[in-house]
Amino acid sequence: MMPATGEAAGRQGGWWQRKRTRDLALIACFLLPSLTVFFLYRVLPLGWNVLLSVQYWSPLKPARWAGLDHYEEMLLYDDVFWQSLTNTLIFIGAAPFAIALALGIALLVNSDLKGAAVYRSIVFLSYPLMTVAVGIIWRWMYDERGGIINFALRASGLITKPIPFLQSFDWALPSVIVAEVWQVLGFYMIIILTGLQSIPQHLYEAASIDGAPRWAQFWRITLPMLKPSLFLCAVVGILNSFTSFDLVYIMTNGGPGHATELLITYIYKSGFGQTKFDYAAALTVVQFILLLALTYLANRAAGGNAGSLEHR
Amino acid sequence: MTTMRRRGTYLRHAALVGVSAIMLVPFYWVLKTAVTNENIYAYPPRLLPERPHLFNFVDVWYFIPFPRYLLNSVIVSAIVVACNIAFNAMAGYALTKNFPGKRAVLLLFLSCMLIPFQATIIPAYLITSKLGLLNSYVGLAFPLLSTIVCIFVFKAAFEAVPHSLVDAARIDGLSEWRIIVRVLMPLSKAAIATNVVLAFIWSWNAFLWPLIITREPTMQTLPLGLARFLSYLEDTTGALYAFAVMVLAPSIFVFLMAQREFIRGLTSGATKG
Repeated sequence: MMPATGEAAGRQGGWWQRKRTRDLALIACFLLPSLTVFFLYRVLPLGWNVLLSVQYWSPLKPARWAGLDHYEEMLLYDDVFWQSLTNTLIFIGAAPFAIALALGIALLVNSDLKGAAVYRSIVFLSYPLMTVAVGIIWRWMYDERGGIINFALRASGLITKPIPFLQSFDWALPSVIVAEVWQVLGFYMIIILTGLQSIPQHLYEAASIDGAPRWAQFWRITLPMLKPSLFLCAVVGILNSFTSFDLVYIMTNGGPGHATELLITYIYKSGFGQTKFDYAAALTVVQFILLLALTYLANRAAGGNAGSLEHR
Repeated sequence: MTTMRRRGTYLRHAALVGVSAIMLVPFYWVLKTAVTNENIYAYPPRLLPERPHLFNFVDVWYFIPFPRYLLNSVIVSAIVVACNIAFNAMAGYALTKNFPGKRAVLLLFLSCMLIPFQATIIPAYLITSKLGLLNSYVGLAFPLLSTIVCIFVFKAAFEAVPHSLVDAARIDGLSEWRIIVRVLMPLSKAAIATNVVLAFIWSWNAFLWPLIITREPTMQTLPLGLARFLSYLEDTTGALYAFAVMVLAPSIFVFLMAQREFIRGLTSGATKG
């Protein structure tokens, strides 16, 4: 287009300027509600946690600088912290086994098998359930007398005396983990299935022509191509150590003793049971650092930028 | 060859039937207990329900303030679902445009995905208390009002709408709001369904947050009611399991109705790129 006269161009420019400003204002308006939610309930709490963790603070009292006192108390004198940290790590350590199981099921389901969709739905069905109800169901399954697990074990002659799973120091944590795996297994499976479906079929065809056996195809093609999905599963597994609060609270409430105490249940108890908000904040910071470190390690193991945010 | 393949198929079916059976046992066990009134502590437990009935469900409805919990849950879920659609669609539309600071906003959203809500409970409680929203529906719903995954679902859906359509609407003089409501939303039904399903499931099942910020039973939601019921009665009554069945039914129903949208929503954050 030919340049207009100076006056007209100026007017045009002003018009564009105003339209641009109006568009930007509109975009800001559109983003505002979501940004408010995330600022108030994600970003601000993260910073506030760090601040609280270096203060002496409780409701109705002015804050005092505490430095690293809370961390010192936690790391040097608090046995419950170490126990819940160990339990949390065991909890996370069970994830790879669950993911391997989900991988097996996904491989079975991912084929032209008749009824594959039905199996898929059944395995996934437990994921969207209310965790409180899941906890209640599993309490009942583990029950000493009325529970089906003890019944099955006794009927098959594996044990002679019923095991009080959730009241036992040895069994309580594994029992809770089994219930957790039951609920999340379908989610792992779906993530892996999505990954499997994105592997180009011609890779397998080429390998078959070259005479590569099935297991070699699995190790050389399927597993490497699944790395991003497996990484995502690992992240879900790590995050579950936070989100499994509901399950632990209902099934054992951290007991017996602190045998099933996770960091998140300990955070809740410190904060809202004993109103030690400052100490609970320090615990949260430690758990969050743990989460970031493990996610970083999982990312490294998956080959660097498997979950890289820029690639989304 | 074909017989081998057929045998492989049978083996697969056998394995999957086994897995499915194990996955379904808890469902069966809770259903069975919910419809019986026998002595549930008798050993051996009966595998089949004896003289099944539905009185436990009636008990739940009348003996505890179930209708009240249900009302609270429905109100909170309705707020969460409605706001999620509005807020996420708006943010998703904004992200389809170019503006200064877009990268920063994207980065903020993506890093927020890594912060589990449970890691924020202490300050979140203090913030909500400062806002004066403890023990209120708005307070219960607030942290769930927008979801990053769903923002990206909307963004992708809006980007799939042909530009010519949006341009034509603009030439016709429609405002940006109207473009979203009249042009883009009707063409993004799948994204809306995904959002409705996810927002409903998350708000319906939420436990920790209501546990923290509600003090009075009149404001409690179903998961809290269930937990209270458990602490009153321990595991001694079929009514507890009837209660569990009643709160599970809606999520199972929603999931079975909208399986594809649900799974698509959950994996959409994972599979792009």
